[in-house]
Amino acid sequence: MLQHIVPASGLLFTLENILWINIGVFIGSVFAAIPGLSVILCVILFLPVTYSMTAIPGMMFLLGIYCAGGYGGSVSAILINTPGTPHAAATMLDGHPLSEQGRTKAALKIALYASTFGGIFSALMLLFLGPQVAKVAAQLGTAEYFMVCVFGLTIIAGVSGKSMIKGLISACLGLLISCVGSDPMTSYDRFTFGIPRLYLGLDLAICLIGLFALVEILAKAEKKPGSLNLDARKIKDDGVITKDEYKRLVRPTIISSIIGVMVGIIPGTGASEASWFSYNTAKNMSKHREEFGHGSVEGIAAAESANNAVTGATLIPLLTLGIPGDGTVAIMLSALMINGLNPGLSLFTTQGDIMYAIMLGLILVNLFMLLQGKFLTSLFAKVVSIPQEILTPIIVIFCFAGAFSVNENYFDVGVALIFGILAWVLRKLELPPVPILLGLVLGSMTETNFRRALLISNGSPGIFFSSAYCIIFLILIIAAVGTIVRGKVLERRAAAKKED
Amino acid sequence: MKDQLARLNARLDAIGKRLDEKELRIPVDLVTGVLFALFALVIFQVMPDQVVVSEKDVVNGRAFPTLLMALMLLCCVMLIGKELYKLATRQPLAWKTINLLVEVKALIILLILAGTYFLSRLTGLFVVGGVFCCLGFLLYFRCRKPSYYVITVALAVGIWAAFRFVLGVNF
Repeated sequence: MLQHIVPASGLLFTLENILWINIGVFIGSVFAAIPGLSVILCVILFLPVTYSMTAIPGMMFLLGIYCAGGYGGSVSAILINTPGTPHAAATMLDGHPLSEQGRTKAALKIALYASTFGGIFSALMLLFLGPQVAKVAAQLGTAEYFMVCVFGLTIIAGVSGKSMIKGLISACLGLLISCVGSDPMTSYDRFTFGIPRLYLGLDLAICLIGLFALVEILAKAEKKPGSLNLDARKIKDDGVITKDEYKRLVRPTIISSIIGVMVGIIPGTGASEASWFSYNTAKNMSKHREEFGHGSVEGIAAAESANNAVTGATLIPLLTLGIPGDGTVAIMLSALMINGLNPGLSLFTTQGDIMYAIMLGLILVNLFMLLQGKFLTSLFAKVVSIPQEILTPIIVIFCFAGAFSVNENYFDVGVALIFGILAWVLRKLELPPVPILLGLVLGSMTETNFRRALLISNGSPGIFFSSAYCIIFLILIIAAVGTIVRGKVLERRAAAKKED
Repeated sequence: MKDQLARLNARLDAIGKRLDEKELRIPVDLVTGVLFALFALVIFQVMPDQVVVSEKDVVNGRAFPTLLMALMLLCCVMLIGKELYKLATRQPLAWKTINLLVEVKALIILLILAGTYFLSRLTGLFVVGGVFCCLGFLLYFRCRKPSYYVITVALAVGIWAAFRFVLGVNF
């Protein structure tokens, strides 16, 4: 590891990288602070911008957005009792009451410090655990890789919607869409319907602009006019946090960061699960339980450190196995692959310097997030009140410009529009979009490994149960499905009891 | 002019109120199951035309899509079976309420998006579509503040200029 640190630092500490980190952090904070705009939407919109960049500045820019998004969501949660991102919902429980007590700046400061700690802790975990997991990944063959893909897809399909069956339908749809274009092994065209442009396949960024961004524009139709624009209060307090409060923050911040990392490593789970789990743990362990829900400093710290501790941890399965920990990092995978960086041990050996630069960069991202949060909080607070009348057309223009710029072709803009309509229909049918995204990202890898494994075994499916790793992943798939199904049954029973 | 605008707004509000009262309830899981089962069958049907294979291949290009569609079909059968079981045992089905006002508003937004796309494509000037998009959405939101029109159009032109001259995108 040490032999990579020095050259990686040289690659990382350039003016260009620092500039892109700061732009990313700023954009991520602003987007996440505005209710209705998500981090995933922001990453999708700005992904085409990274196509002209090399790996390190491109990833630094996207990681800046991703990490700052974790903190930015807390700004609106604290100021207007509306979480900017879903994972800031737990922060809202104590952040807004503290703000109502006239301590808005203090609440924002606690959220910022806890987010930064969680983020840096997570980055360090990535730095130490990533290469070790990659060594295990190096022992996996094609059949094992196929099982890893199936495991990732199953768990994500299971947890991303109300129904596991619907999640699987979405995942199948995403995988099928990834088949459009030339066959990865024979180069024959598939599902092109005589459209020559489809021979190259559907670009991930273009599909995502439709699936996640344009559908949000269509979803404006669901909002009542009064709920579109929100006014943020002005920050008037001095933001003082007492010594006693600082002492109380230490334990929940550390424990929640550990929880965040553990949750983040598991594909399909994410910042929301981590922040709720940590919030409850902190509440159970606190000596001041009565303060929770009424402006507890520990509550804010627990939720915020956990949701930012997820950021580095989700990169562990991504960089080592190619399995994205959540939807946002799935998009980053394409930014990596465009630069010829394919996940796995080879990434840590042949491209070690770049990899370590990216991992070290995550620490830097969190430090710049701290600096921007410290000096630009008032600006982020104003952003919360940007009128939707202005915001909506600007997002559309960004979407269309982004879709066009991928191949400089209006055909792609049309494809993005069609995916937007498809996403709207799927929304009506209550089908989750995240498994489609995972299907699109993992499609080629899943199919290639599936076919290669069958070629090796001369068509015998027994190869998928032939090694210890295959069996382990099979057990993990069965256990995951069992846990998800059990969880859904318990959830339903609890809901039925509540109704009674 | 102000009177005419007020009258138009009142009329739009009245239409909106009427549409808001109209709702359509669909058995969402049953519909999803049937729709995607049909989709999987259509894919099976078009597969021989759309996926060319060589007879020499041990595992050809149809294997993976066939596996996917079989899985999708299985999921659909489970979804339909679950709903039919509920129906037989008189348990409540999963329903989804579709509000007509929401759908009409979504259709208007879609028309603005389509207009932006076609205007950009036909003129070859992205900025024309961008300006149309701004005006379309401001009218959709029934915005009466002139400053918003100026700000939004200026931002649209700014984004176009940034992509055109900074990122070198040719549109």
